[in-house]
Amino acid sequence: MPIADKKLGEGTYAVVYLGHLKADPKRLVAIKKMKVNTAEWRDGLTMDAIREVKYLQELSHPNIIALHAVFSSKNQNLNLVLEYLPLGDLEMLIKDVDGIRYGTAEVKAWMGMLGRAVWFCHENFILHRDIKPNNLFIAADGEVKLADFGLARSFADPYRIMSHQVITRWYRPPELLLGARHYAGTVDVWSMGTVFAELILRRPFLAGQTDVEQLELICQWIGTPVEENWPGVSKLADYIRFDKGNIQPIRGKEFFLSTFGTAGPVGVDLLMSMLALDPRKRSTSRQVLEHKWWTSEPRPTAKEHLPKKGGGPEKMGEDLKRKGGEIPASRGDSVARRLDFSAMR
Amino acid sequence: MSRSMQSNGAGPRRPGDREDICPVCKSTRYLNPEMRFLVNPECYHKMCESCVDRIFSQGPAACPIAGCARTLRKQRFRQQTFEDLKIEREVDIRRRVATAFNCQESDFETLLAYNNYLEDMEVATFNLLQGVDVDATERKLAAFAAQNAASISANNAKATETRTAQHAHTAAQKEQARLNRAGATRADVASMAEREEAHREAIDAVANAKDEPGQKVVLLKKSTARRTAAEKARDKQRQQQQQQQLQHPGDSTDHEIYKIQGLKPVIHPPPEKAYDPFGGMAHTPVYYTLQSHYEHPWLDRARTDPGIVAGGYDLREYYHRTMLAAFAGLGCFIDEEMGEKEKGRGEGDDKMVATEGAAMAAAAAAGADRAARRDVL
Repeated sequence: MPIADKKLGEGTYAVVYLGHLKADPKRLVAIKKMKVNTAEWRDGLTMDAIREVKYLQELSHPNIIALHAVFSSKNQNLNLVLEYLPLGDLEMLIKDVDGIRYGTAEVKAWMGMLGRAVWFCHENFILHRDIKPNNLFIAADGEVKLADFGLARSFADPYRIMSHQVITRWYRPPELLLGARHYAGTVDVWSMGTVFAELILRRPFLAGQTDVEQLELICQWIGTPVEENWPGVSKLADYIRFDKGNIQPIRGKEFFLSTFGTAGPVGVDLLMSMLALDPRKRSTSRQVLEHKWWTSEPRPTAKEHLPKKGGGPEKMGEDLKRKGGEIPASRGDSVARRLDFSAMR
Repeated sequence: MSRSMQSNGAGPRRPGDREDICPVCKSTRYLNPEMRFLVNPECYHKMCESCVDRIFSQGPAACPIAGCARTLRKQRFRQQTFEDLKIEREVDIRRRVATAFNCQESDFETLLAYNNYLEDMEVATFNLLQGVDVDATERKLAAFAAQNAASISANNAKATETRTAQHAHTAAQKEQARLNRAGATRADVASMAEREEAHREAIDAVANAKDEPGQKVVLLKKSTARRTAAEKARDKQRQQQQQQQLQHPGDSTDHEIYKIQGLKPVIHPPPEKAYDPFGGMAHTPVYYTLQSHYEHPWLDRARTDPGIVAGGYDLREYYHRTMLAAFAGLGCFIDEEMGEKEKGRGEGDDKMVATEGAAMAAAAAAGADRAARRDVL
C-alpha cells in the first residue's frame, strides 16, 4: 500500500504526490490523483484516466512508465501509483543548450529507447498518440520512459473512425492535420521523427501556432502534400487546395543533410523515412528499429553515461498534471514572435 | 672570481655550476659569468656549454677528458640535477630500470612474489651501478623489456591514470585547505594577542630562572649525539649489505632472463554485446505465419477507399492483431504453470512447518496473504 508524502504539483486535471510503499519506505512512487471534473464529466471518470489505466496496466516494458497500482480514495477519486522518475524529461535536456552537451551517440541512445517503447506499444496494438519530449521521462538510471497514455487507444477495426484531434500540434502528422479518420501506427512514427529532429536541432522542429500554420510549416520543410506524392490525399476530409505556383516538391536528401548533417547520412536516411509525408511510405515502428543506423557507428551511449539533469520531483509533478495534447504555456507563446537567429547560421 | 660576483651572475644557479673552471677549455667564470656546465649520461664528465657546442656540433665525437674515449652526442648533454654526479648517475639508472620493472604490489598474488620481483629489479640496478656484469645485465634487461612490452605499456597507462586521479585529488585537497586556512586566519588573528601574551610570560620566566637555558643546551647536544650515532649505525649496516651483495654477484647470471612470477591473472572486461534495437524483446509467432494479404469481401472497401487508405490505415496491422487474438493462449497450460508455482512455494514453506496439518494451514495463510495483496493492486 503506497503512502502519499508530499504534493509535487497540481493542475486542472490531476494532483501529483510523491509517495512511498508502506512495506518498503525506500521505494518511492509518484501518485497521480485524478480530479473529478464535475463540469465536464458529470458522471463517471474522464476519458484520459480510463485510457491511462487501461493501457498502462497492460504494458510492461523497461521504456514505458510502470503503473504499480490503482486505488480509489474516500471521495471516489482515482489514484494511479506510477513509477517515480526523478530526473526530469527529455525536453529539459534539449532546452538546456548551455548546460548539457550531447552528440550523435547520445541521440541514438535516446531515440533507441523511444523506438523500443513505441514499437512495444504498436506490437501490443496500442497507439500512443501523444509522443513528445516532455512525455519522455528519464529514470534514475538514465533510461527513457514513455509516459502519459491519456490519449492512447488500441488499433481501430476496419471502418471504425478515430479522432483526428490528437497528438500535440508540433508533433502531429500531416494526415491528422488534414482530418484523416482512419490512420495507423505511423502517426506515432511521425512524432518520433519530429522528436528526433528536435534532439538534433535542440529546438522544436515544426512549431506552428495554429493547425493551418503547422501545415504550412510541413509544406515548407518536408513538401506540399499533393496527389502526385500522396495518392488519395485530396479525398481527406480537411484537405486544402494548395496554390499551383506555391507547391514545394518533397525535400531531397541534400536538404535534410544540410539541416541534420550531425546525424550522418544513415541517420538522415532514417529521419527522412520517419518524416515521409504519405503515411503508407513512412516506416512502421518495426521498420524504424530494423534500420541500419542503430548498428552503424557510433554505438549508442550506455544509459549510465547519458547526460543527466536533476529535474527533481517538482518537474515530474509538473509534467504529470498536464492534460494530454497541451503545449506548456510558457513555451509556445513567444516562439513565433521571437526572431530566431540561430536558424540563420 | 669572488663568490659575491658569481651570485650576481645571470639566473638561478644549478648544482653543477659551482665549479669555476671548465676542465676542458680552462675558461673561468670570472671571464664568462654566464658559464653553464653540462654532463652526458654516457660518462658524466662535466664541461662548459661552449665546449659542448664547439666539439659536438659537427656530430658525435670522443669525450675530450683524458682517459675517457667514449663517443658522445650533443643531443644527450644536459644540466645535472644533483650536486653529486654519482647520485645523478644512480638516479638515471634507476629510472631506466624502473621503466622496465613497473609492476605494482597490487599486481602480485603474494607479498613474497612482489619481493622477489623487487629483488630482481634491485640486482639489475646494482649490477649496472657497480659495473658488475654490465653487458649481461643490459642484455637481460633489454630481453625482459621486449618480452613484457605489452604488460609494461599497460602498467604505464595505469600509472598515468592513477597519477591524474591523484593530481585531481591533491588539487581538491589544496582547495579545501585554502578554504580552511581562510577560515583559520580569522581565528588566528583573534588568538594572536593571547598567544603573544603567553610568549612574553614564558620569556619572563626564563629570564628569572638562570639555570634553565644551560640545561636546554645540554639536552640538545645529547639529542644530536644520539642522532649521529644512529646514522653511523645505519651507514655501517648499508656497507655490510653492499659487501654481501658484492660477494654473491653471480646469483643473477644463473637464470637467463628476469622472470615475473606470482602475478595476479589479468581479468579483461567481457567484450560489449552488439546493440539490439529491440532490446531482446522481439518475438516471432510460433503457431502461424503472418501473410501480407488475406482475402475477405468485408475488407475490400478498406483496401480501396481513398478516404481510408490515404490516411495511412494499414490492414496489415489488423491482420496481425486478429491473428494474434485467434491464436492467443495456444501453448499456455495454466494447470502446469500454477502447479509448478505452488510446488515451488510449498517447498519453501515445508522447511518451517513440521506436520501436514500445519503445512495446510500455512498454505491457506499464504493464499489469504496473496489474495490480500492482489486486492491492493
